[in-house]
Amino acid sequence: MSKRIAIVEDDAAIRENYADVLRLQGYQVQTYANKNSAMEAFNLRLPNLAILDIGLEHEYDAGFELCQWLRSKSTTLPVIFLTARDSDVDTVSGLRIGADDYLTKDISLPHLSARIAALFRRQDALGKPQQADHMLTIGPLTVDSQRMTIQWQSQHVELTITEFWMLYALAKHPGHVKNRSQLMQDSKIYVDDSTITSHIKRIRKKFTYIDSDFNCIETVYGMGYRWNQNQVETAGS
Amino acid sequence: MKWRFGLRSKLLLLSSFLFTIPWFGYQYVWEMEKYLRYGQEQTIIGTARALATAMHERANLFNNQASFLPSVEKGKDLYSYGLSAPIQLDGLNQDWPDFANKAHFYQQKNQLYSQLTPEQLSINFTAAVGTYGKYLYLYFAVIDDKVIYRDVNARSITNNDHLELAFINPKGVFSRFIISNKTTGWIDAYRITDIKDDIPVPARQIQGHWRHTPQGYNVEVRVPLTEFNDNIAFAVHDVDSPLGVIEASLGSADPSSAETLGTILVPSPEIERIVKGMSYTNSSIWVVDQHHRVLATTGNIKKASGVWNKRVNLNNERIDNANENFILATWHTLENTILKPLYEKILTQPPSNFIDQLYDSENLTGKHIESALAGEPMSQWRLSTDQQAVVLSAAYPIFIDEHVKGAVIVEETTNGIRTLRNQALEKLFSSILAIMLIGALAFFLFASRISNRIRTLSNQAEMAIDEHGRINGNVDTSNTNDEIGDLSRSFSTAVNRLGQYNHYLENMSSRLSHELRTPIAVVRTSLETLAMQQQLKEQENTASNLQKQPQKPAIENPYLIRAQQGVERLSLILTNMNESTRIEEMLHNTEKNLFDLGQVLNGCIQGYRLIYPKMYFDFNDISTEQYQVMGSPEHIAQLLDKVIANAVEFSNDEKVSVNVVQNHNFVTLTISNNGDLLPEQMSEQLFDSMVSIRQKHNNEQPHLGLGLYIARLICQFHSGTIKAINNKALQGVDVIIKLPLVK
Repeated sequence: MSKRIAIVEDDAAIRENYADVLRLQGYQVQTYANKNSAMEAFNLRLPNLAILDIGLEHEYDAGFELCQWLRSKSTTLPVIFLTARDSDVDTVSGLRIGADDYLTKDISLPHLSARIAALFRRQDALGKPQQADHMLTIGPLTVDSQRMTIQWQSQHVELTITEFWMLYALAKHPGHVKNRSQLMQDSKIYVDDSTITSHIKRIRKKFTYIDSDFNCIETVYGMGYRWNQNQVETAGS
Repeated sequence: MKWRFGLRSKLLLLSSFLFTIPWFGYQYVWEMEKYLRYGQEQTIIGTARALATAMHERANLFNNQASFLPSVEKGKDLYSYGLSAPIQLDGLNQDWPDFANKAHFYQQKNQLYSQLTPEQLSINFTAAVGTYGKYLYLYFAVIDDKVIYRDVNARSITNNDHLELAFINPKGVFSRFIISNKTTGWIDAYRITDIKDDIPVPARQIQGHWRHTPQGYNVEVRVPLTEFNDNIAFAVHDVDSPLGVIEASLGSADPSSAETLGTILVPSPEIERIVKGMSYTNSSIWVVDQHHRVLATTGNIKKASGVWNKRVNLNNERIDNANENFILATWHTLENTILKPLYEKILTQPPSNFIDQLYDSENLTGKHIESALAGEPMSQWRLSTDQQAVVLSAAYPIFIDEHVKGAVIVEETTNGIRTLRNQALEKLFSSILAIMLIGALAFFLFASRISNRIRTLSNQAEMAIDEHGRINGNVDTSNTNDEIGDLSRSFSTAVNRLGQYNHYLENMSSRLSHELRTPIAVVRTSLETLAMQQQLKEQENTASNLQKQPQKPAIENPYLIRAQQGVERLSLILTNMNESTRIEEMLHNTEKNLFDLGQVLNGCIQGYRLIYPKMYFDFNDISTEQYQVMGSPEHIAQLLDKVIANAVEFSNDEKVSVNVVQNHNFVTLTISNNGDLLPEQMSEQLFDSMVSIRQKHNNEQPHLGLGLYIARLICQFHSGTIKAINNKALQGVDVIIKLPLVK
């Protein structure tokens, strides 16, 4: 059974473009132009994945409201924000509300479909038993590339897809410095340098929320970041 | 500071018009004085008229005062001065006040009976007449070459130097007396009229002293006033040999008969009595006869300060209020210690001791008297003879039978008015001084406040916008409900609006990128869809044509690729445009941490050596843990990225040097290259948004001139500064970053 994707987007051209591409890839796509029509439809039946624009027609924050409403109906439904708004505030609030990813509209279609695929994969993988070959364990960090989940000291760290890819890129080669463009490539987004910085900061914050001594992500000034396992050990010992 | 004609000075200048108030006050007081003088003039004329009225048609007052004479002859018609002190009969004139002026000199002209030539005449004398009490005093100073006394045994009293006096007493009886001494000493006086057997009778009523002098002899005589009425004559007879005959006679008039006697004017007690009644008017009063001779006088001009004096004195007494408050007490102390002495210097004080000798007491002269004696009352102002006091005189004629028989002269000084005027001026000056001081102070404070407020406002307005036209702060809105408050509010509004507009402009790029993003997304997705569809078709084609042309690669549509590249570039531009806004936002949310600048710098330069392998970085690793900076290391690294990238790009010799200098609490990074010099006056603008001076370095990457703008934002976030200057040798550009250190 093919997955059902709902696109809530007020710009008809983009909406149809996305819908066409996704349909081509075998998804069932429903499109909605505003919050109310989307809500009506979602009341009847929830989609498998929702792609939301934030500003819908006259409502400036309709996407956020819709996301919150969806989250109240289902905690597991993958939600992606796809919007032209790229300010830090919007990104943070979008992710806080419960979106699984926050993408800006300059993302390319293959990239978007990859993200969608990744989200579905994570959802599917969560239901399946864990397989060891997808597991990457570095000290207290455990990365499940299949399910796209991260555990730190056996505690689950809630990361978005973008953040997951970044951390995965760092942790896959501990001690190697990844510069920003590499991180961008690995996490399959194209943003400016400061966005990378803020993503890294957010990841750090999520870890320090669990472990206040966390300092494995090291900044190598002028070059990038690296996963530094030794430092935490020396600090811990 | 250059002096300028500011608001305060202007207001002070304007307030200097206040100084015209005392001038007006002064004028007013002068006017007042004029009126007071006029009033005094009227009063004094009134006094004179009242006195004259009391004497009109009272002929008997004047009949016995020899005033009936058509003319008076000096030396013959005598005037008896009222003497102020009793005279000692000693033949000396020291006790005669002002003898020299009051005496008359008798000489050749005054010869009686025979007229000798000056050569023959061996005698002359000086005589003075005065009254004191009930006596008439006569003083003779005779100069005689040979003084012949009466022989001890001589019966004759005329064969020696002798004096003759003749009177007509009030009963009309004519009497002659001869003073004929045997020696110096008490006089021997004899009556020679109405005698039996021609034997002179000693006249006890005439007393006196005969004193021998080196020049001749002095005789001082007193006669009771009852002895004569107003006719008198005296003569000095000169005998030059013992028991000789009279050789010359000098005298005031011929004493031999009643008809030939001269007159004497003795101040009239009746008139004096009338006048005395007026002596309480604070005036000096004279009554003269038609010959200008003083009949009566009362009052002293020095004390005659006019009617105003009483009022003045009343006002002068300060009500000594014991419980007057502190301010008043202070003011009074100030007034007494500083102002009063000052006023006394400025204002002419009425002289308390002046000399007025215009009138000799025998004859009064002056236009006003002449006018009065001609029948026309007149008043006049004159200065006292020492020019110290102003004297007001009024003369009023006394009529008897429609003939002017005399005049009343009333004199007063203007001292009263002057005192009054001075007091008025003092009060005026004091109060005006107080008003002006308070006023000027108030003006000054007011002006200061206004100018301060305006200056504050101007400073605020200046501070609100920096040299690059950026809005730095706000103008505080004033709550004052006046024009300056309005101005402040207008400024505030203007700056706010300008700030909003600036903000709008600064956000323009992000707004624009945001707005452009959707259409670009449309284009992009459409292109991608198109590309995908084409790919699919080609795949089908390839699949169907697999047998025919198994090796043929898929031919991509070049137009599609170019369109995609264009969109890609547009998208990059949008991302760049957004970057600055994003940085601002992020800096806003970034917490400042203490970090080691050395570590960041060393790391960064290492990175740059990797990134730009062709470039030579002239930099020695600096010691760590020396430069502690409060801020965000990631952003400092970003700042360095931007600046180094710039330097690398502009460098001509593939060499960039980085210098670190610490001075005081600042660390200064200098990043130099030898690239093209900056255009004049561009060094500041370079760091503004959307400013780029790239010309020959055009390449594929779009440049929006945001790099250095971001660099400046980061510097500002760290409370530092960044500037670009052409280096001293003019062989390149130095970018100087100054960051504050934490000790």
